[in-house]
Amino acid sequence: MTNKPEPFEQFLLAEGEKKVEMTLDTRMPNTCIFKFNKEDHTLGNLLRARLLQDRRVTFAAYKVPHPLFPTFELRVQTDGSLSPKEALLQACRDSVSDLNTLSREFTKEYELRKMVNEGRENGI
Amino acid sequence: MTISLHSDEEHFADYPVIIHNISPRFSPHAYLTMAYIGFGGAYNEDGMDIEATGPKVTVREATQDHVDFVLQSTSLSLANSLRRAMLAEVPTVCIDQVQILSNTSVLPDEFIAHRLGLIPLDSRGCEPDMLFQRECDCGGDCERCAVILELACKCEREGTMMVFARDLIIVDARPNEYVGQPVIRDPKGNGPLIAKLRRGQELRVRCTAIKGIAKEHAKWAPTAAVGFEYDPNNKLRHVDYWYEENAKDEWPVDPRNANWESEDTAADAAFDPDATPGAFFFDVEGVGTLDPDQIVQEGIKVLQNKLALVIQGLGGGSDNDNNNTNTNATNGAVGAGGATPFGAGGVQDQAYGGAGDHTSYGGYPAGGATAYGGGGATSYGTPYGAPGQNGYGY
Ligand SMILES: [Zn+2]
Repeated sequence: MTNKPEPFEQFLLAEGEKKVEMTLDTRMPNTCIFKFNKEDHTLGNLLRARLLQDRRVTFAAYKVPHPLFPTFELRVQTDGSLSPKEALLQACRDSVSDLNTLSREFTKEYELRKMVNEGRENGI
Repeated sequence: MTISLHSDEEHFADYPVIIHNISPRFSPHAYLTMAYIGFGGAYNEDGMDIEATGPKVTVREATQDHVDFVLQSTSLSLANSLRRAMLAEVPTVCIDQVQILSNTSVLPDEFIAHRLGLIPLDSRGCEPDMLFQRECDCGGDCERCAVILELACKCEREGTMMVFARDLIIVDARPNEYVGQPVIRDPKGNGPLIAKLRRGQELRVRCTAIKGIAKEHAKWAPTAAVGFEYDPNNKLRHVDYWYEENAKDEWPVDPRNANWESEDTAADAAFDPDATPGAFFFDVEGVGTLDPDQIVQEGIKVLQNKLALVIQGLGGGSDNDNNNTNTNATNGAVGAGGATPFGAGGVQDQAYGGAGDHTSYGGYPAGGATAYGGGGATSYGTPYGAPGQNGYGY
């Protein structure tokens, strides 16, 4: 009846669709364009920022080609000491490890705050 | 602004991500001086940045439905991604299908179905206890992927009968002891009002509640609001305030956040074009379906799962994963970091699918041996996989 996309098409990979597709950018050395399917700024900006922290990465940027399509393209260029794919993998792993730390720190701090609150309630 | 992180760095140089001294965090003042310290800028000779300490958290306030915390030593991107993940992608449980058995009230069926969908239902433990319906192979509503609630009310007397969320009765088994129960907070124990019936009118419905995310429909949002602020004094000039006469007098400032920042971010300090934001002020307010700390933790997990899918999609770990010393170092760090939150803490044991458990992220074998571990000689403990298995198994 209408051509409105199903909401789940924003985050569920279609049949046979890949999460990441890598294409070599032949115009530049050591450069790849990664197309991410069913992802948005949440992941795009996170990876972009993380890649830029790696000194061996000479260029990293992402764009969402069209706001109605849930994809983004991440372009990565390195200085040649590692491939763009390796750099991206490294960025992912580093972010996972950062988030682990964040989770642990949050748990600790939250429990601490709750203890303080309970102490207050009990008039300690 | 180039920064060597702070004195802790030296102390913990040998233990990239191991446990920190708790004591400094007892007092927020300990952090005042580093509120503005950015991350990054510190690299070792391999070109990887050191960031020996990782993100820091200070919880300023925690109540039943709300947590106020400050994130430090991390990037704006990570903080914002966490905010977006908590808003749109943390799974909760909501009524999604309504079978109207009888409706003689003045409200149309669709109206009532919509109201039912918006009723907050307890979602504690829905991750990982409950499956997404589309990933369950039952093909219908089974006790692993759905909670059935029934409502049967008829007004027999003169006057108005109020139908409340408390009248929703869970029938059949459900994934755990919390999931699907309407959240009721008012002193009378009524819960949200669904409809009003006059004498002779009746309402009988059968509802199916399933797990979903707010990206599909806002009713699944675990948060009522997520406050997010950085650089309250606009030291970085990311904002260009409109004003009549004086922006400072005309725009509100949260003094708690503004005072958190150190001297060099005071409103009258000189502009530093190389500065990066160093403190991110979160104020997460839940709807009541999940505890506030769970919203944050699940948001973190959402991000980790996204990254894990990318690693898997790129075939990370299968090819030359362990040829690289940096990789090894980082993997070690992941292991060390993961052991606490996912293991002993007991908060989220099976985040990534413990042994034999269904993961909700589609067809990866639980604790699968492929994704990360390739030729890795060491096993990284249990954070993502079943104990004793070699590798991460995203
Ligand atoms: Zn099922």
